[in-house]
Amino acid sequence: MKKKLASVLLCAVMAASMLTGCGNSGDAAATTPATDSKTDAATTEAVETTAAADGSVYYLNFKPEVDEVWQKLAKEYTEETGVPVKVVTAASGTYEQTLMSEIANTEAPTLFQINGPIGYKNWKDYCADLKDTDLYSWLMDKSLAITGEDGGVYGIPYVVEGYGIIYNDAIMQKYFALDGAKAASMDEINNFAKLKEVVEDMQARKDELGIEGVFASTSLTPGEDWRWQTHLANIPVYYEYKDKGITDTDNLEFTYSDNFKNIFDLYINNSCTAPGLLGSKSVDDSMAEFALGQVAMVQNGNWAWGQISGVDGNTVKAEDVKFLPIYTGVEGEENQGLCTGTENFFCINKEASAEDQAASIAFVEWLFSSETGKAAVTNDLGFIAPFDTFTDAEKPTDPLAQEVLRYMADSSKTSVSWNFTSFPSQQFKDDFGAALLEYASGSIDWDSVKQTVVDRWAAEKAAIAAN
Amino acid sequence: MQKTLKRYFPIFVLPTLIAFSFAFIIPFVMGVYLSFCKFKTITNAQFVGLENYIKIFADKDFVNAFGFTLKFSVVSIITINVFAFILALALTRKIKGTNLFRTVFFMPNLIGGIILGYIWQQMINAVLLKYETTLVANPTYGFWGLIILMNWQMIGYMMIIYVAGLQNVPTDLIEAAEIDGATSLQTLFKVKIPMVMPSITICLFLTVSNSFKLFDQNLALTAGAPSKKTAMLALDIYNTFYGRSGFEGVGQAKAVLFFIVVAVIALGQLVLTRRKEVEQ
Amino acid sequence: MTKKKTSNVIIFCILCVLVVAFLTPIFFVLINSFKGKLFISNNPFALPTAETFAGLTNYVNGIEKTGFFTAFGWSAFITVFSVAAIILFTSMTAYYLTRVKTGVTNVLYYMFVFSMIVPFQMVMFTMSKLANMTHLNNPPGMVLLYLGFGSGLSVFMFCGFIKSIPLDIEEAAMIDGCNPLQTFFGVVMPILKPTAITVAILNAMWIWNDYLLPYLVIGLSTNYKTIPVVVQYLVGSYGAKDLGAMMALLVLSVIPIIVFYLTCQKYIIEGVVAGAVKG
Repeated sequence: MKKKLASVLLCAVMAASMLTGCGNSGDAAATTPATDSKTDAATTEAVETTAAADGSVYYLNFKPEVDEVWQKLAKEYTEETGVPVKVVTAASGTYEQTLMSEIANTEAPTLFQINGPIGYKNWKDYCADLKDTDLYSWLMDKSLAITGEDGGVYGIPYVVEGYGIIYNDAIMQKYFALDGAKAASMDEINNFAKLKEVVEDMQARKDELGIEGVFASTSLTPGEDWRWQTHLANIPVYYEYKDKGITDTDNLEFTYSDNFKNIFDLYINNSCTAPGLLGSKSVDDSMAEFALGQVAMVQNGNWAWGQISGVDGNTVKAEDVKFLPIYTGVEGEENQGLCTGTENFFCINKEASAEDQAASIAFVEWLFSSETGKAAVTNDLGFIAPFDTFTDAEKPTDPLAQEVLRYMADSSKTSVSWNFTSFPSQQFKDDFGAALLEYASGSIDWDSVKQTVVDRWAAEKAAIAAN
Repeated sequence: MQKTLKRYFPIFVLPTLIAFSFAFIIPFVMGVYLSFCKFKTITNAQFVGLENYIKIFADKDFVNAFGFTLKFSVVSIITINVFAFILALALTRKIKGTNLFRTVFFMPNLIGGIILGYIWQQMINAVLLKYETTLVANPTYGFWGLIILMNWQMIGYMMIIYVAGLQNVPTDLIEAAEIDGATSLQTLFKVKIPMVMPSITICLFLTVSNSFKLFDQNLALTAGAPSKKTAMLALDIYNTFYGRSGFEGVGQAKAVLFFIVVAVIALGQLVLTRRKEVEQ
Repeated sequence: MTKKKTSNVIIFCILCVLVVAFLTPIFFVLINSFKGKLFISNNPFALPTAETFAGLTNYVNGIEKTGFFTAFGWSAFITVFSVAAIILFTSMTAYYLTRVKTGVTNVLYYMFVFSMIVPFQMVMFTMSKLANMTHLNNPPGMVLLYLGFGSGLSVFMFCGFIKSIPLDIEEAAMIDGCNPLQTFFGVVMPILKPTAITVAILNAMWIWNDYLLPYLVIGLSTNYKTIPVVVQYLVGSYGAKDLGAMMALLVLSVIPIIVFYLTCQKYIIEGVVAGAVKG
């Protein structure tokens, strides 16, 4: 009898568990049509504002260093409007990969970004036309936007950035005051030969200067190497394009490879970190070294200000943080300015529901037009936004952004444009970075690096063309 | 009895079968089909025949990953089993604290691959710091790092199986050998090892399939760095799928090849085991 | 016999050294989890000093950045329910497949066995896409997927054991008027208990630690991330952005496993041995 009871109970339990199983799938099924019908309603109404209020935003963020700011903004926007905003940040160097796996999900990013024409080629199936948005109408230089063959606008740049060698003026002044200094002021350093002379002398006298090395760690950890395989690589590519009068190529000759080597060697041999250890250093480490006054120089862009000022116990003063163009020994580089441009274009996922798309557009427009949004963009994100909704008074005030603006305004300097938006793929950059790592640790010579760049460029361009 | 039970198919089998279809049967069939297609999502596939398979052999990374996997498997299978067996011998000598030793040696096995990978990444980098280099500077470091990691994880597991095997060796057999004047080495090779052959086959099977299919540890420890020279097959397939768009078909074709290789190895082992069992 | 004793002492000492070596990585992570994030890479083997000691900052950071406790909850939810589902449904399936001999059951049995040798990469892409299309990308859906993907090994192991159960007991139960469900739960299930424990442990170990399936199916945007997914998410591709938080998270991930292991050691080790011998 007892046995029977037990078995009946067990059956009941099992039946119940099966029921709940069904219940769950039932729920999922029930929610789907509901959202679908909402979509229909939204499209028929076609009123952006009401639809936007129903939607939600999922932004896949590209920049890990400003993740916290985005999280805060998302929260503020939700409090203000009630529209849920979710921000997920892809790990450094894995944006495309993360986007690939995320976008195929039902809860796909509604707002994402591409890095230029190459990015557009990969993601055009997902980019909605933004021609009729206010955001596009605010864009000051319409030629910066990514346009498709059909004339639609598929990506809108949201930030103009500049990079170069950031230096700590306090340390430089200390050096200039030393006996036998190779230069007397920063103005004298306007080409690679002079830079090298100064840097090597500073490295030799680092104890006198109270630093551990001239340059911060050349972070070569995979995923942390974009300052070299993308940003630094821009310079030789820029000059090669300029010589040939082109803006893209299927076969890069890497004619300025020696110039890349010049500056790269200078970075790794006059640093606070031994070349062999660079494979474990991250961008964060480099910025901390700079902020703590352990080094005098670091190559990075104006977005790094937040990282510098955010380091606990930082010793570097805001007024001492300045930019120097990256000199590589190219003829006529005395007039070279910073590298300025953008690789950040907002795209709206056209596969997302109409109200989610509307909500995402509304979120971005809020960001670049409302007082709260603009304040956050200018002060927290430190963006130089290319929109006419920003007045001169609303330009970022951090020292690096100021420097970028100063260089852009200086007519005697020629800014280097961002040609890395034409680099074939993340794969190419990763391969280049890996080769640099191997070169720094002494396992391969420079010719192999050069060969890697040439081969991988051609192979990746071909792979894209084949698609 | 069979007849009454037969009618209960919907209750006994259907739930599992439905789950099995979603998780395995449908994805498997689709996977085989899609390996002959060009596609971005599974709904817009376009038949291209063998194109994907042809592309694989032009892919240096895949060939590289294959070689690395093979090399890794051989070394890790040997080291894990030899060390595990030695430990098992030590733990069957009725030494004080045997239980504690067993507990500690087995523990790493329960920690997940991702977490293990990062723990060892930090450990190895800390050691290499003394030599002013890092795990990703040289593929050799990555290789041996993986070997050490897998040894740390798997030795305890295999040791437990060997201990169970050794405990089943009848003591009178060993005593008889000792009375006959056999040295301890002779007892080991002539009596113990032949007697634990079944355990050895099991351990070999487990280590082979574990090494060949390794993914999490590989991803966490080096993620293939430098220059994908330490990427194993599973990671290479993953990278092909999700590294960039347009290569999903090639990734699927690689996965099919990978499956065939794993299946051949598994079947080969099964046949060998069967033959051994018949001999006994 | 003294010779044996001395060699035992030597072996004992070697084993002690090995124990220390085995535990080193765990202690290494533990020590560094209490250091400030910028001090870790400089002198990784040193104990925290007054200057480098960071208290619980890393833990707070790590937990905040990843929502570790939520992840712990979902890991636990998915593991517990998946294992329960696997035990219940695959044992029933195995019973049916063993006792009912038809062409269909034979084919099904071999399909389950076949699935054991198929590497996950083979179905990774299609399975995650299918799961998305059918709205299985949530924890209950994960339970279904784990039941499906775990059924191969589990059915195989249950079948192996059920074959050895004599038919007489079940037949007696049937004659007493039990229907097959009553027979299974009243008579067969209690006999299956040891195998069920083995199956439960093997599956729990796999599901708790699994990374790729939850990552691909659930993704990063939802709140259903499991522990391996958040660890990988925090640490990123290779480099660690915040070494301190990473160390803390590693410690937090290891603790539940060690606690669980120490409390259920006997079952785990027996389960593993039994699983290996039968598998």
